[in-house]
Amino acid sequence: MENYTKYRLKEIDELAPFLAETDDIFVVACNKCFKEFESLEEPDCGEFVEMAKGQGKNVTGALKVDFLCNKVQTEKKLKDAIPEGTKSIFVVSCGLGVQTVAELKDLPVYAAANSLNYRGHHGMALTKKACEACAQCYLNMTGGICPIIDCSKSLVNGQCGGAKNGKCEVDSNKDCAWEKIQNRLAQQGRLDELKAMPVQVRDYSKINFELINDYVTSIRESRFAGYYGGVHPSERKELSEKYSLVAFPEPETVVIPLAQHAGAPANPVVAVGDSVKVGQKIGEAAGFISSPIHSSVSGTVIAVEERLHPTRGGTALSVVIKSDGKDTLDPSVKPNKPLEELTPDEIIDIVREAGIVGMGGAGFPTSVKLKPGKPIDAVILNGCECEPLLTADHRVLLEFADSVIYGLRAMLKAVNAPKGIIVIEDNKPDAVELLTAKTADIEDIEVVTARTKYPQGAEKMLIKRVMGRQVPSGGLPADVGCVVGNVSTAKAIADAIRTGMPLVERVVTVTGEKIKKPGNYIVKIGTSIKALVDYCGGTTDEDVIFKSGGPMMGIDLPELDVPVIKATNGVIAIEPDVSQEVACIKCGRCVDVCPMELSPLYFSKYADSENWLGMKEKNVMDCIECRSCEYICSSKIPLVKKIKAGKNMVRGMK
Amino acid sequence: MLITKLKDRETLEALAAGKVFVVNCHGCKEVSFPEKEAAELQKEWLEADKITGVLTTDYICNPDNMKLRLERRRAQIDEANVVLVFSCGVGVQTVAEYLEGKKVCAGCDTYPLPGYQGVTPLDVDCDQCGECYLNLTGGICPITACSKSLVNGQCGGAKNGHCEVDSNMECGWERIYRRLAQIGRLDALKCPVQIRNFATDLNVSKE
Repeated sequence: MENYTKYRLKEIDELAPFLAETDDIFVVACNKCFKEFESLEEPDCGEFVEMAKGQGKNVTGALKVDFLCNKVQTEKKLKDAIPEGTKSIFVVSCGLGVQTVAELKDLPVYAAANSLNYRGHHGMALTKKACEACAQCYLNMTGGICPIIDCSKSLVNGQCGGAKNGKCEVDSNKDCAWEKIQNRLAQQGRLDELKAMPVQVRDYSKINFELINDYVTSIRESRFAGYYGGVHPSERKELSEKYSLVAFPEPETVVIPLAQHAGAPANPVVAVGDSVKVGQKIGEAAGFISSPIHSSVSGTVIAVEERLHPTRGGTALSVVIKSDGKDTLDPSVKPNKPLEELTPDEIIDIVREAGIVGMGGAGFPTSVKLKPGKPIDAVILNGCECEPLLTADHRVLLEFADSVIYGLRAMLKAVNAPKGIIVIEDNKPDAVELLTAKTADIEDIEVVTARTKYPQGAEKMLIKRVMGRQVPSGGLPADVGCVVGNVSTAKAIADAIRTGMPLVERVVTVTGEKIKKPGNYIVKIGTSIKALVDYCGGTTDEDVIFKSGGPMMGIDLPELDVPVIKATNGVIAIEPDVSQEVACIKCGRCVDVCPMELSPLYFSKYADSENWLGMKEKNVMDCIECRSCEYICSSKIPLVKKIKAGKNMVRGMK
Repeated sequence: MLITKLKDRETLEALAAGKVFVVNCHGCKEVSFPEKEAAELQKEWLEADKITGVLTTDYICNPDNMKLRLERRRAQIDEANVVLVFSCGVGVQTVAEYLEGKKVCAGCDTYPLPGYQGVTPLDVDCDQCGECYLNLTGGICPITACSKSLVNGQCGGAKNGHCEVDSNMECGWERIYRRLAQIGRLDALKCPVQIRNFATDLNVSKE
């Protein structure tokens, strides 16, 4: 693999005069980027320290930093690192690192290294291909061989005539680029094009500092909007966002797993042959962190057995019910007192009995969230729907705005919070407008528009974005006075209070480039995902993978004959990714995007060497598995898989 | 890691004579890709039945993975008269090398980048000049902070502290002077005349 390390230590002859004029030196060394991640120990820092000591200088300390040019992280790392009495800082890095440190510190900062001068900016992968960013790509005329880079003289109108036996006269190790171009075009039968090509004049005048600076500024703004890191994957929401909700046809049978939530699976309270009605409890919560399960149809229980589960990889005990198609309501389904007359405990009881769990994907029992045991000053409703493709929450906001607001008011009352905030990303302007109008007269509810960025909907990011508060490592939202819920959950709470209907149906987006007819459906829990996909016309071709959820955090569905559960916000059919893991090249982008400000590249390195303690020290337990690092990884390393393995091992250590 | 823009419409229409297979690289799009413009154009072409397939993927400069991805689309590629790649020059060259017998064209131009932007888009640049001057300049780079990349002090053309080439830009050498004064190192300006060496470290990557 090529090595595009950007610096090399200066020679002692050059450094000696600078060392001579100072003492009490602190050394900051960059751990290098754009080289294969083979070793945690780069020698340059030590070499320079020896060099300084050899000149009789006192070294007050040394700090090795990953990606020194990452100013946000570097600022934190340097904060308390430099001891009192230090008179100057020597930086072992390329020019970017030196300038970054020089900006951050008032002490004299010296460069201990030279950046290496490569010709042409290379791409992300460490290849021999280079691009000089000449601004007038010639590759169309030259069969994809770059005359600027590959010809020593950067000729753009053909050979200079100096080549000998196909080799360049400037560098006899190098093939003549124009002979290569000629051969390539001959192979493609395109020599006529070469002959017809008008004389090219290279334009050196196109550098536009202003544009580049503006561009960099805007990128930085969007990258740092609200919280550190995050990514902007293609949203592709236009595939389904305009389709109004449609009630999915009554399923013939439903398979309702008793494990649809975080915590203990429910215990079945029906047996084969029992008649059940819509909203009837069929599973009893089995502990504090658990949730009851209700029937979504009226009909007969035909089995209580292990069935394939959509997200747990394997089977789970499920109640199979054959629908009689009559949709008869259970007598237990009746409206509660109006919200004004309910006490907080009564609200929490209703939420628990209705089997309401987080509908954003995690499935944590909502009644537990509503008993935080700490003072809460804000309930934040997550209407970000930052996952690409999915539009379920968007449609819920548009079509059930009143229910969402009612649900939020119930949550506010349950936790006795003075303020409710509905956060919607700016890619849903219609929802922002509607909710803002509907809440205009409600004093304690505010709508916040957040600039679109993944993973904004993660509760820790949301709290940082909206409240500017940092949930401590290992902590919960309640530790900073917040409760976070999903907009669909709020709607379910409203239904449970107003009609008494437990959580037996939800909104599911069926979408993806490979789905023939994408749409948003109100689906009964237990409906087969296969039926859903078939109803949407199936897929455009066989070359497809299905996921439950969005493309970022969704879980692969190797088997389609699995049910929709409470946390199924979407079913997507997308093109499979065939890329394979290659070696980490320390491009630093995972560090750049991790919203929890971790260093994912180490998780990969440590998982491969089974260094679980190392993973723990790098705070693997703080990872929220948002997959931003894996998405951005230029080497296609399955980071989340490695992180999950690490977390399991670290959990076992305690 | 290069900023790209679409070639102008006329050029693209001319390149796309016949059937087209499109490759979009979103690998560095966090930094630099005209995603929307490319999508709009391709939508039109799809409707006009010009396109045999679209492969939108990332890091097409990685030849190993690109090979796997292109092979899966072999039929669509064969059917096309031209493969049009929307990426920086590195990506186009990678695809062109693998599809040696196929006409592979670039749909984008790269912006000329004076000064490497590093891993994160930063507000400091490094031109990788190969002979870091920062020791003499208080950590402000004369190559990238001065429009003329002067290495021996101010040109004399600055007005009210602003560059005569770009009035939105502060004079790099005035910034250097202020910084050196601030850290008590104005003596650094009395060092011998610097001569910039434009040679490249040709063999660096082969070491």
